[in-house]
Amino acid sequence: MERQNKTFSYKKCAIVCSLIVAPIALAFIALAVGRFPLSFSTVFQVLFEPISDVTNIDAQTQTVLWNIRLPRILLAMLVGAGLAVSGLAFQNLFANPLATPDTLGVASGASFGAVLALLFGLNLIWVQLMALIGGVLAVGLTYSVSANRNRGSITTVVLAGLIIGSLFTALVSLVKYVADAESQLPSIVYWLMGSLSSANYGMLLLGAPLIVIGLVVLLLLRWRLNLLPLPEDEARSAGVNISRLRLATVVSATMITASCISMCGQVGWVGLLVPHMCRMMFGGNNQKLVPACLSVGAMLMLIVDTLARTVSAAEIPVSILTAIIGAPVFIFLLRRTGGWSL
Amino acid sequence: MIFTVENGCFDYDKKRQDNFLLQNINFSFSKGELIAVLGPNGAGKTTLLRCMMGLLPWRSGATLLDGENIRHIPYNLLWRRIAYVPQAKNPLGMFKVEELVLLGRSSHFSLLRQPSAQDREIAMDCLRRLHIQHLAGRNCRQISGGELQMALIARALAAQPEVLILDEPESNLDFKNQLVVLDAMSELVEQGIACVFNTHYPAHAMQRADKALLLDRQGHYRFGPTTEIINEDNIKNAFGVEAVIGEIETKHRIYRDILPVSVLKLDLESESLADANGANQKGEDHMTQENAEERSRETRVAIVGAIVEDRNAAEKINELLHEYAKYIIGRMGMPYEKKDVSIICVVIDAPEEITAALSGKLGRIHGVNIKTTYSRI
Repeated sequence: MERQNKTFSYKKCAIVCSLIVAPIALAFIALAVGRFPLSFSTVFQVLFEPISDVTNIDAQTQTVLWNIRLPRILLAMLVGAGLAVSGLAFQNLFANPLATPDTLGVASGASFGAVLALLFGLNLIWVQLMALIGGVLAVGLTYSVSANRNRGSITTVVLAGLIIGSLFTALVSLVKYVADAESQLPSIVYWLMGSLSSANYGMLLLGAPLIVIGLVVLLLLRWRLNLLPLPEDEARSAGVNISRLRLATVVSATMITASCISMCGQVGWVGLLVPHMCRMMFGGNNQKLVPACLSVGAMLMLIVDTLARTVSAAEIPVSILTAIIGAPVFIFLLRRTGGWSL
Repeated sequence: MIFTVENGCFDYDKKRQDNFLLQNINFSFSKGELIAVLGPNGAGKTTLLRCMMGLLPWRSGATLLDGENIRHIPYNLLWRRIAYVPQAKNPLGMFKVEELVLLGRSSHFSLLRQPSAQDREIAMDCLRRLHIQHLAGRNCRQISGGELQMALIARALAAQPEVLILDEPESNLDFKNQLVVLDAMSELVEQGIACVFNTHYPAHAMQRADKALLLDRQGHYRFGPTTEIINEDNIKNAFGVEAVIGEIETKHRIYRDILPVSVLKLDLESESLADANGANQKGEDHMTQENAEERSRETRVAIVGAIVEDRNAAEKINELLHEYAKYIIGRMGMPYEKKDVSIICVVIDAPEEITAALSGKLGRIHGVNIKTTYSRI
């Protein structure tokens, strides 16, 4: 028994360590690869240049690493982690394995808000704010459309999300139709496809805090998320202010989603794929799932974005790649472990 | 701890002004009591449980815990004292049993904190207390309905409550699991927790519960010691069923059981009559109550004989006999050292329900084999 416990905790320790180390290692690799390949030793030298005496690095390498690759990698990891954790939060909130920012219409709502801000030529703060408002509006609508006395069934919620999502997609199309075909439309369309290429520190400084705050709140609430999918009576009899918990969760998750969307457009699949992958690997306990999704989401997005900027001369939009990579991986996992469930 | 429901009224139809689903419900119980809530489908058993926990608001009236209205107790403090065990349905979530049980600790620490090692230890203790520690690592979806019901009881216990409220805990379970759940409840009651459970089986109430609350479809109810509440007349009124209460004899004990024999033919008519004319129904009620009182004055001489295998039972037996002292006309106690048992023989002159209640209570004590013989006079 003693022995069993020990090996179990070694295993646990190894998993925790790899979830922390793997994204960092991947980030190092991602710094090195690209159209302008660098050796790992150069990457190390550049990264530790501020605190070492080495000064023989040319300016071009410095620019590529510090001003182009690093912000982009940080953004990719942040967005990946954010979308994965918010997907997980929505799944628990709606007690529904198919609930994600995409299926609930949150992504469309946030897109509409952001596109509207782009149409009026507002700056990134406004894009973020409008995306947040659009997202909250959409999730509120979906909830009220699907809610009945016993909370919506899985299909009702998804249908409601579909309706609200298509409503906002229509509104987005309306904005596209109204937009000036010469100047505004291309930027809107390109933004909608999702790209991380425009990443810079100014953008990160504006968008990252909202994502980080949302992630921290959800990390702190991670064990409590387990209470959300319980039937109403059971949740209330747990002795927790369940409406406050729901509010905190929905605000955090929507904030993350809206902020991600306002920075790099609508990137689908991550919110659905990562929580399910993690659930199949680590079980249904959200206390473990939230940190796992955070790490796996960051890694997945990093890999996808690195592929997006390396496989072809012209960059491929990430949303296309997430779908192309996501679908088969998901089918494989589904076949192997069987079944969607929370 | 005293749990009281005072003048509880409730109806789902908010506009309704009288003839509520639950009308002026009054009852109370204290620690170590097992209370069964009985009634036909649609009589409001689950509604009553939900109202008394505050999950549904009473239209008027209140639930009091040690004299304090539960509406005024902060939710986290309230749910440390009361715990709710839902019916075991398909669980959401791929939880392990120990993780499920740990959820019961929710009320004991603040929202942003994670469960501590101590909380985990308490959760494991609850599993041990119900003898299901072997399930700890199993997935909730892969255990049987009976095991899941036990896990849900463990989750409720993890809150370390004084009152456990169970919604049809033994429905949908097979014979063995019904016994496992009922035994668990009896054991918890012995440890001083008050249990309230609603059930479709009057026999379970008769064999286990100290008190029973019988609801009928007209919003009437009866509350009192189980043996007085569950009799053929009351079953007939509440369920519309002709039933006989009989006894099944084994070598060690006599068990009371109830057998539904036939559906009352007047059922439909009388129900519609009752709806049309509530006063008439109430008059009838009055009559049957009088009958019952008259009958209960009629006493019968009986011998309650017991062979006690467990030394620890002696104290409880004495307590019970003391409680019924006024009916007891003679008693004999004899230890038999060679086999380490005691033989107790009590002669009683009491109404049949009283004698049945005494022998029922004695029979539920661990290590007691008991039989009662009634005279014809």
